[in-house]
Amino acid sequence: MRLARAYIRGLWDGRMILGYTLLLSLTLFIVAPFLMIALRSVGKGWFYRLWLPPQLTLDWYRWAVEVGNIPEVMKNTLIIGIIATAISTVIGIFAGWAFGRRQMPGKEVAMAIVLLPRMIPPITYALGVAKIFYTLELVDTYLGVALAHVSVCAPYAILVLSATFEGLDERVLEAAGVCGANTIKRFFYVVLPLIMPGILASMIFTFTHSYNEFTLTLLTYGPHTVTLPVRTYLAVGDGYWEITSAMAVIMVVPSLVILALIQRRAEPEKLVGGFKGV
Amino acid sequence: MTAFWRRNSSGLITLLLLTPALVSFFGLFFYPMVLTLILSFRPEGEILGWTLENYGRFLSNPDGRWVIVLTFILALGSTALSILLSVPLALILREKVRGHRFYRLIVLVPLVIPGLIGALGLLLFWGTRGWFNLFLTQFVPFVERPFPVDYTLHGLIMFYVWLYFPYTCVTTLSSLESLDRSIEEAGAVSGATRWQVLRHIVLPLITPAILAGSVLTFMAAFGAFSVPLIAGGNYRPLSVEIYKEISIFIPARWSAASAIAVVMGVLQVIFLSLYMRYVRRAGGAGGSR
Repeated sequence: MRLARAYIRGLWDGRMILGYTLLLSLTLFIVAPFLMIALRSVGKGWFYRLWLPPQLTLDWYRWAVEVGNIPEVMKNTLIIGIIATAISTVIGIFAGWAFGRRQMPGKEVAMAIVLLPRMIPPITYALGVAKIFYTLELVDTYLGVALAHVSVCAPYAILVLSATFEGLDERVLEAAGVCGANTIKRFFYVVLPLIMPGILASMIFTFTHSYNEFTLTLLTYGPHTVTLPVRTYLAVGDGYWEITSAMAVIMVVPSLVILALIQRRAEPEKLVGGFKGV
Repeated sequence: MTAFWRRNSSGLITLLLLTPALVSFFGLFFYPMVLTLILSFRPEGEILGWTLENYGRFLSNPDGRWVIVLTFILALGSTALSILLSVPLALILREKVRGHRFYRLIVLVPLVIPGLIGALGLLLFWGTRGWFNLFLTQFVPFVERPFPVDYTLHGLIMFYVWLYFPYTCVTTLSSLESLDRSIEEAGAVSGATRWQVLRHIVLPLITPAILAGSVLTFMAAFGAFSVPLIAGGNYRPLSVEIYKEISIFIPARWSAASAIAVVMGVLQVIFLSLYMRYVRRAGGAGGSR
């Protein structure tokens, strides 16, 4: 009995070790795949039963750039991302202002309807979007792919921005009015600095979302609008794991940099809504 | 008269502000959904006519029913495992252990990574040539052959957990941190052991948050597309089945794909509403305790 109690106490004292073991295995669980990708992308002649690649090479990156046409693909991804972000942000600012600052009947229902695309698997409406875009000849254009991205990005921008605008303090605006600022001055000197961080956050999230978007792109892309995720998928299909890994590294580094940059400013709960790399 | 005018113009401005959102909603979501619904009732390749054949063919086929079951196995299995992983993790991270900022960042990583890349790395790591099997065959006694993880059902569930557990973990963690510590202290002062405090005070209080987070994990796992597409092998859930109909067959079988898409959407909505009702009831019970 005493032994059992001592054993339990020992376990209790060792709980920090237990905790650290769990944290370390978690870190390994999450990071190991990236290590493998990174090693695979620079390894040469790496075959069975070797822990590390015997030779290092940058050939796969050269192949990715030359054969995979990465600069062109990167350009497509950026252009589509910028168009999608611009449209989503405009939608988000208008609708967010309406949801966050104005009275209206049935606000809850309207909000739920606008957010509906986030509840349904993207592939189900991607099918219809693709079908419509084929008839409108929007497939394989920058605008078409970007519009397809808007269908997922816009609800998210609305969600973030309406929360931002709702948090705007009425008293600050009144104070500015009392001090003699007219509407235009009030907007540029008071409102804009207050809402700018929210708009910026929403833009970063939307852009990342568009950058990562795969499902809708796959159904609306064409030879001229190959984006990075689609390019990586096509390379997986070709079976060249080394080149695919090199592309994956090229693609993942910006995402990780963005994460490192924003994680101090943005609350993780917002991120949860933000990225959905389906 | 002026008041009336003002009220109407205010409503008009609200409507104008909402117009872009409504246009994008109807053009990019509602109309595509309606079109999918209509297409699913059309005979394959026809512009006119109505039929139930697309549904009949998918639902009467044992393969079709297996696809539905498989989708639920994957989604529910990964949701349950995510909860099991997230709760201890959140309890540890709450204690602000050394380097907790780093671990918090690590938890977020799968969220910002495209599923495709995650699946690629996971295949490389857990595959028969990856580090996991290398470790198994070289350092673990009595293991001669690699343990297959890639392109298996359990492997796929694990990949899903890797990608989608952060939803559950972050929600659980944020609710744990907003929990009032004095409640736990009160429990401890009243003579409850740490385990009892955890079991009867902390867990009931955070259950709503855990379940709310798990809804997000479930939704993501149910709709997952890129991961099963490249890492699923012979296990094809609904999303991949839809894509198969329009990518493999020539000419593309849009009606068949639409029928599966409608089945998927309906299943998701039904299951979500059941789940939400359950969550609300569980949340209510947890709150009143």
